[in-house]
Amino acid sequence: MDRNDKGFIATGYNPQKPMENRISDIGPHKYDTYFPPVIKKNFGKWLYHEILEPGILMHVAEGGDKVYTVRVGGTRTMSISHIRELCDIADKHCGGFLRWTTRNNIEFMVTDEGAAKALRDDLNGRKFPGGSFKFPVGGTGAGISNMVHTQGWVHCHTPATDASGPVKCVMDAVFDEFKSMRMPAPVRIALACCINMCGAVHCSDIGLVGIHRKPPMVDHEWADKLCEIPLAVAACPTAAVRPTQVEYKGAKVKSVGIKEDRCMYCGNCYTMCPALPISDGEGDGIAIMVGGKVSNRISFPKFSKVVVGYIPNEPPRWPTLTKTVKKIVEVYAANARKYERLGDWAERIGWETFFKLTGLEFTHHLIDDFRDPAYYTWRQSTQFKF
Amino acid sequence: MPEDKDIIIEYLKSKESTKSKHYFKDFTDLFPDKGPREVKKLLTQLVQEEILEFWSSGSTTMYGLKGSGKQAGAEGES
Amino acid sequence: MAKHKTPLLDQLESGPWPSFVSDIKQEADNRAKNPKGLTHQVPVDCPEDLLGVLELSYTEKETHWKHGGIVGVFGYGGGVIGRYCDQPEKFPGVAHFHTMRVAQPSGKYYNTKFLRDLCDIWDLRGSGLTNMHGSTGDIVLLGTQTPQLEEIFFELTHNMNVDLGGSGSNLRTPAACLGMSRCEYACYNTQDMCYQLTMDFQDELHRPAFPYKFKFKFDGCPNGCVCAMARSDFAVVGTWKDDIKIDQEKVKAYAGGAIKPNAGAHSGRDWGKFDLQAEVVDRCPSHCMKWDGSKLSIKTADCVRCMHCINTMPQALRIGDERGASILVGAKAPVVDGAQMGSLLVPFVRCEHPYDEVKDVIDNIWNWWMAEGKNRERVGETMKRLSFQKLLEVTNTPPSPCHIKEPRSNPYIFFKQEEVPGGWSRDLAAYRSRHQR
Repeated sequence: MDRNDKGFIATGYNPQKPMENRISDIGPHKYDTYFPPVIKKNFGKWLYHEILEPGILMHVAEGGDKVYTVRVGGTRTMSISHIRELCDIADKHCGGFLRWTTRNNIEFMVTDEGAAKALRDDLNGRKFPGGSFKFPVGGTGAGISNMVHTQGWVHCHTPATDASGPVKCVMDAVFDEFKSMRMPAPVRIALACCINMCGAVHCSDIGLVGIHRKPPMVDHEWADKLCEIPLAVAACPTAAVRPTQVEYKGAKVKSVGIKEDRCMYCGNCYTMCPALPISDGEGDGIAIMVGGKVSNRISFPKFSKVVVGYIPNEPPRWPTLTKTVKKIVEVYAANARKYERLGDWAERIGWETFFKLTGLEFTHHLIDDFRDPAYYTWRQSTQFKF
Repeated sequence: MPEDKDIIIEYLKSKESTKSKHYFKDFTDLFPDKGPREVKKLLTQLVQEEILEFWSSGSTTMYGLKGSGKQAGAEGES
Repeated sequence: MAKHKTPLLDQLESGPWPSFVSDIKQEADNRAKNPKGLTHQVPVDCPEDLLGVLELSYTEKETHWKHGGIVGVFGYGGGVIGRYCDQPEKFPGVAHFHTMRVAQPSGKYYNTKFLRDLCDIWDLRGSGLTNMHGSTGDIVLLGTQTPQLEEIFFELTHNMNVDLGGSGSNLRTPAACLGMSRCEYACYNTQDMCYQLTMDFQDELHRPAFPYKFKFKFDGCPNGCVCAMARSDFAVVGTWKDDIKIDQEKVKAYAGGAIKPNAGAHSGRDWGKFDLQAEVVDRCPSHCMKWDGSKLSIKTADCVRCMHCINTMPQALRIGDERGASILVGAKAPVVDGAQMGSLLVPFVRCEHPYDEVKDVIDNIWNWWMAEGKNRERVGETMKRLSFQKLLEVTNTPPSPCHIKEPRSNPYIFFKQEEVPGGWSRDLAAYRSRHQR
């Protein structure tokens, strides 16, 4: 590699001839490149599995081989120092192999139960200076696994809340359930920092969604200078943004107008045009949705439903949010039947009873009024509970 | 083929004063007799020839003439 | 000594769950110490400035990021997300802070060499912060500057033989569950189908030409661990056609309490003695099972393969042998017109390499959606706008009752002209010979 006098280290890429020596379209590495030997050997030959204790799985293959998996909660936002420590652990215990799960957990695999327990103790023994666990073992079976989430204030331009922070607070609050398996069924919690849900939470047992409550402001001075107005107009999914001319400091300027009662606060126009800021400290917050699932087990997959329309952002610890999530989890755990997911339980007992038991306030915000599907959520029956 | 590319470039130039970025579909509309995959080949060639460039909102992608538009610069990055 | 005071973020260091704040601080310290003597290519203190700008957001409850239109490296229309800080003077280290998506191996197995090599690139050329992984499944490298993008891509492709992932209106990086690598429920090789289709559709992944994003996800069984049915436009979910395989001795062992039910997943609470009738047979959604105290029988024709009995007694029951997958199309998150779950399109498809049957379905859907889809319309919305019948037609799929939960409850049937004898060209004169005006 070449280093120029400004310290820029060049690899060999030539900006004058971008196609020269370019490698493209090579895709990911093949999935079996990094299989631990026991996985490679028994691919497609697994017979059954058992969760030996929270966070430790044992899979048994046809020939009798066993693999013990130790699962730890990971933060999605992760430094290379942390990844290198994970690598040190994998080198020490697992022959240099490890994997991630869909829910941001990390899994280490060994072929001996004693080794699994030593690995577990090693992982549980590592803490950050601030006191939190680096690699808490758990997240299996009928418990609360790791949350999936989005970027939030760490890196996103349209969030209505942070992601990593509220996730940390909620996981702290339900940590005992991450470390145990005493729920009626798995409870999947997820957080998306705005309604666009780049991390979809719409089928989670508990989905936390950042919501804006104020339409974007229009910075008339800058709109035409920073943005191409037709693009901002086209970005709006509800046709609430339209081109207009306004008086600004005595001059006519091109800008946009926003039909406020049409705005669904998605922030798409801000993506196209930085002169249409949407975030608002007072307006923004979190809605709670419950009862979704993606598994086909017993009942069909289903969407989460909004049961709390708005909780203000309360950084750094989001006390109202965490208290509400914890309450929902506790009431569910105390009342649902074995194997019953949160949504199946709510449907069985009825939403009247759900609100009664959880103590959540039912407000008009929770009745669907968005286009056609709304009608199908109203009650067309005399069957209801007083 | 060169004529087809010119159609694309002319179209973009004609719109440049109001809109510098266009969805893929805007180009398929220019060629009613061509399938989307053929139009894509033309656009890909134009990108590789450094005449067009992509612009993305993260969720959607648009095409425009290289360097045109109000958000073309990389915000003062050098 | 920290560059910025972060009293609010510091409160996220306590509590048991791993603290991302502690982790970013650790990265800031390591970069400051610079044990490898690197000439960092982006500001060495960018983790400090990230904490600084985040603390500001915690104070004001508003984000400080702006979107930028940068899309990728030369010739690619995705893989990079442009981000700029709206307080660049206060936080110069993160003034330009773009994201790169790197293609993950399907199933997310790694060795430490791969990860360490990636960390070395990101140490030198980026912030040292990542997402492991992004929501769609990519490795996300969080925070670098424009001049580094091509250099990083060069190192990734030349030195690590790995590519970028997708973003924008293209095929997004496909994802699969771990499948046959470590799961007895996998009805097909999810990782291989994911890998093969990712390789076959590289052009669609890197060069956007769709109306909007398009996601593939591959679940090995109806348990749905990668949420294919909820989160992907094209969901391939493993299933089987023949009998669930029953080991009657093991069934008895479960009934007698010798084996922990549900693979031990409920062992944290005393749920009482396992009751096979109540917990398995009575909960079967299609009531296809019988238990007479010594023998479990399943009427396969009535089984809907929900997985409950298999999940509950994995040592006694196994998926059948005639395996393949169902294809469900059109899932999406709520924006704009409401969330959609994938709708069943192909009840059963064989999943054998090189997956031509599956690829045919994909090609047909794409040809239709690329021609008919509106800008920013997911295929699920195109289906709603142009009808499920249209999707059946373009994919040559015969309609069947398994496509619906119930038949339509209105008679507004759009008949095709050729379905009606004589078509729609009618003889007015003949009509008038029978009817006066």
